[in-house]
Amino acid sequence: MQAAGKTTMPGRRDWPLLLLVCVPALLAACLTLTGLLRLLPAELWWHAIGAPDLTDPRQLLYRHAALPRIAISLLAGAALGLAGTLLQQVLRNPLAEPTTIGTNAGASIALTVATLYAPWTLEHGREWVALAGGAVATLAVFELSRGRRFSPIAIIIAGLVISLTCNSAGALLMAINREYTQELFIWQTGSLIQNGDTATFRLLPWLIVAGIAALFLIRPLRLLDLSDESTTSLGASPVTMRLAGTGVAVALSAAVVAAVGVISFVALAAPALVKLAGARTFRQRMIWAPLAGASMLWLTDRAVQVLPFASEIPAGTATAFLGAPLLLLLLPKLRTMPERQEVMPSLHRRNAWLFLLPALTAMAVLVWAVLAVGYDGSGWRWASGAGLSELLPLRAPRVAVSLAAGVMLAIAGTLMQRMTGNPMAAPEVLGISGGASLGVLVFFVLSSSLDRSAMLAAAFAGALASLAIVAPIGNRRALAPDRLLLAGVAMATMASAFSAVVLASGDPRLDTLLAWLSGSTYRATTADALVAATTAIVPLMIVPFLARWLEILPLGDAAACGLGLRLDRVRVILLVLVSIPTAVATLVIGPLSFVGLMAPHLARMLGFQRALPQLFASAILGGLILVCADWAGRMLIFPWQIPAGLIAALVGGPYFMFLMAKRR
Amino acid sequence: MRNTESRAPFGLLTRRQCVAGLAGAWLGAATLPARGASQPRVACLEWTAAEMIISLGIEPLAVADTKGYRDWVVGPGLSAGCLDLGSRGEPNLELLLELKPDLIIGAYGYGLDQGPFARIAPLHTVPFYDGTDTPYRQAETETRKLGEKLGREAEAEELIRQTATAISEARVRLAGKEGRPLAVVSMFDDRHVRVYGRGSLLQDVFDRVGITNAWTGKTDSWGFSTMGIEELVAIGEARLVSLDPIPPHIRIRIEQSTLWANLPCVKAGNVTTIPPVWPFGGLASAARFATLLAQA
Repeated sequence: MQAAGKTTMPGRRDWPLLLLVCVPALLAACLTLTGLLRLLPAELWWHAIGAPDLTDPRQLLYRHAALPRIAISLLAGAALGLAGTLLQQVLRNPLAEPTTIGTNAGASIALTVATLYAPWTLEHGREWVALAGGAVATLAVFELSRGRRFSPIAIIIAGLVISLTCNSAGALLMAINREYTQELFIWQTGSLIQNGDTATFRLLPWLIVAGIAALFLIRPLRLLDLSDESTTSLGASPVTMRLAGTGVAVALSAAVVAAVGVISFVALAAPALVKLAGARTFRQRMIWAPLAGASMLWLTDRAVQVLPFASEIPAGTATAFLGAPLLLLLLPKLRTMPERQEVMPSLHRRNAWLFLLPALTAMAVLVWAVLAVGYDGSGWRWASGAGLSELLPLRAPRVAVSLAAGVMLAIAGTLMQRMTGNPMAAPEVLGISGGASLGVLVFFVLSSSLDRSAMLAAAFAGALASLAIVAPIGNRRALAPDRLLLAGVAMATMASAFSAVVLASGDPRLDTLLAWLSGSTYRATTADALVAATTAIVPLMIVPFLARWLEILPLGDAAACGLGLRLDRVRVILLVLVSIPTAVATLVIGPLSFVGLMAPHLARMLGFQRALPQLFASAILGGLILVCADWAGRMLIFPWQIPAGLIAALVGGPYFMFLMAKRR
Repeated sequence: MRNTESRAPFGLLTRRQCVAGLAGAWLGAATLPARGASQPRVACLEWTAAEMIISLGIEPLAVADTKGYRDWVVGPGLSAGCLDLGSRGEPNLELLLELKPDLIIGAYGYGLDQGPFARIAPLHTVPFYDGTDTPYRQAETETRKLGEKLGREAEAEELIRQTATAISEARVRLAGKEGRPLAVVSMFDDRHVRVYGRGSLLQDVFDRVGITNAWTGKTDSWGFSTMGIEELVAIGEARLVSLDPIPPHIRIRIEQSTLWANLPCVKAGNVTTIPPVWPFGGLASAARFATLLAQA
């Protein structure tokens, strides 16, 4: 109550907040004024709002492009600021925002599906389609994290998995509808370019209704600052309050996605920054965060218009670039719950080594089968003899690469899960895959060639750079596992924002890039296969020497220190061992696939509990998963091909969700 | 799924028939069948190559993304029996191996490694948009080369002549109309257009039919630029030609746009839509564009 009294009048203590809102707004206003002055003499400004002379192109642009663009940047920014504040309060999670909790990905995939297969649903506005998709995705994230009492980490990771699954489904749909998706590519980047005031007047009512609802929610949601028990004892239902708050936030973000596409990170940054600037109470944040969001997005959108680039960078991409570092900075502020997981029980322990031989035999049989069996549109055929030797040069590199990539990802996943004690850890969320993607994308933009080895080098540089960025962040508290995962989320977000720009450029070389991003083995060469196989085998030979570490680490930091492990050194060595195979696997099969997550789990469920047996079993399983995915991808829609990484991700994403749901 | 349709043509020709046909075709010669001989069996990895050989009078055995060709290139028409090779990004190598075509034709810039194709059959690459010449002149050069390669020199010369004729006919027809500058765009959403300018095949056609391109801004190495529709103010009351196809829901949103409705060219009623033309195509696309422009 005391704090509420203070906020009613801007007092001395509010000056950082005022600065936070006013400085960007003033800068944006300056840029806007100079822009508008160049467009139209100031004496016409007022007149041209109400009764523009539309035969004058200057007034037309002023009234139907420039002003709506300012309006939509303010509205979208405010809507996102409000959505972020609500979500962060409701979930007690400083990282919650529509991108990190999956809402945006759900809205996007719904719009993608609707655009490709049911365009008639979009004729009466995209808001409802986006809302349906966003709501389903958010509900799924909640359902998945319910078992872990909506802990911040659980929600972010569930959000990431939902987003990755939605994105890989979206990538698949785009890959097989290449020329039809230009619209989606452009829209995904979150461009604020306007073509009249339609979008503004569509977004406005959503913001007004949500604003009024939020006003009524301020008092009840403030109670959530207390613990759930105290809230209940005050006669309020925390569940109802959370549902209401989330509902408003999801509606706001879906409306923004429908209006302008995905604008990442504003919803994260605005509440975080006003909090840093001194908005301690929820009520203060509800007032200041939308203002800060509006001024930030306005400034960003004006800035991209004056930046000296050949073509304008969409505002949504710019915010992703600005916001990802902010996410990294915020990580240390996040109170991570001590979530040392008990190892999942399996039905029985096996004498692991006895099973290794049959497993290897099974693998050999399967590899031979996928080399020999093919489908050709008229029927199945079993190639042998001369036929097989003709097909081998085509099939062998693909099979070898997918096998090796599966092994590498499985090794990396097992090591990560052992190292962090977190069964949700996977190389895909470490950020190395994201870094490798960024490397290739930057190379793609800067160079006009598509030289394979140069692309590989670029990917490797990106992977190393992301490791250099991510590792120190986790290092602040001896490479705290959860931080590492979240830093990976930030890298992945940046990579996907950047890929959206490149994809929207309409460059006809995109097919190659799309294929790589979605994890295709189509371009696998014998050289790739050799590199991948070597990188897969070497760690398998090193790891036996590290078996003791891997047994001890999951017991927790205290136990590990007590047993004499130098934790930081151990973790650095393991991190390198994780990142090299991850980088190479990303290079040869693309950034997506949940193999690194799935394989270690399957191994444990089959009874391989101890470190080394688990590692070898999961390596075998990982290889098998990707080999099968690649084979299925070549057969399912013959003569078209589905990238192995996409199939693995479409199987692996739901598997991850199933795992999360089971862990209640 | 949409693309299952594109597999349908495969049903018309079973593998066995393909192989039987293969046995009949002659193999292993140093040059390809001369004129008058049976049709060479040619597979095309992308649409420009397909367009070129169809206009040389050869039915391609297989083309990548046949459904896409029928939607975006349209003419010259693809025969119903033409097989689908899968996506242009990843033409199916195993199918190619089975078909054993006499020649595989790809195009520059799609980032496909040539090795695997070259091992299956002789590979010919059409180096469009490599910056050595204007697209139209390059199309002429490439048509001649392809004619030589396929033993269709006469057809190649005929195609070059016909294209020139189509363009000069269009020039005559267009000269009768008011000589407004004209901009040509593809519309993919309601806020952006892709406008074709310097360095594009369509610009070359403009130059030859004597039309001024109303869009003189910067373009990328493929001769187009993607921009917000507000930049169309720059073309004033010039004619605006938009290439089909435009999805219906986009058309609706464009019609709702107050900016679009008030653009000088829209207000003056100078917008026309013409059937699809493949802007990255060869001579046949150039002729098609000139003819459609004159009719519009």
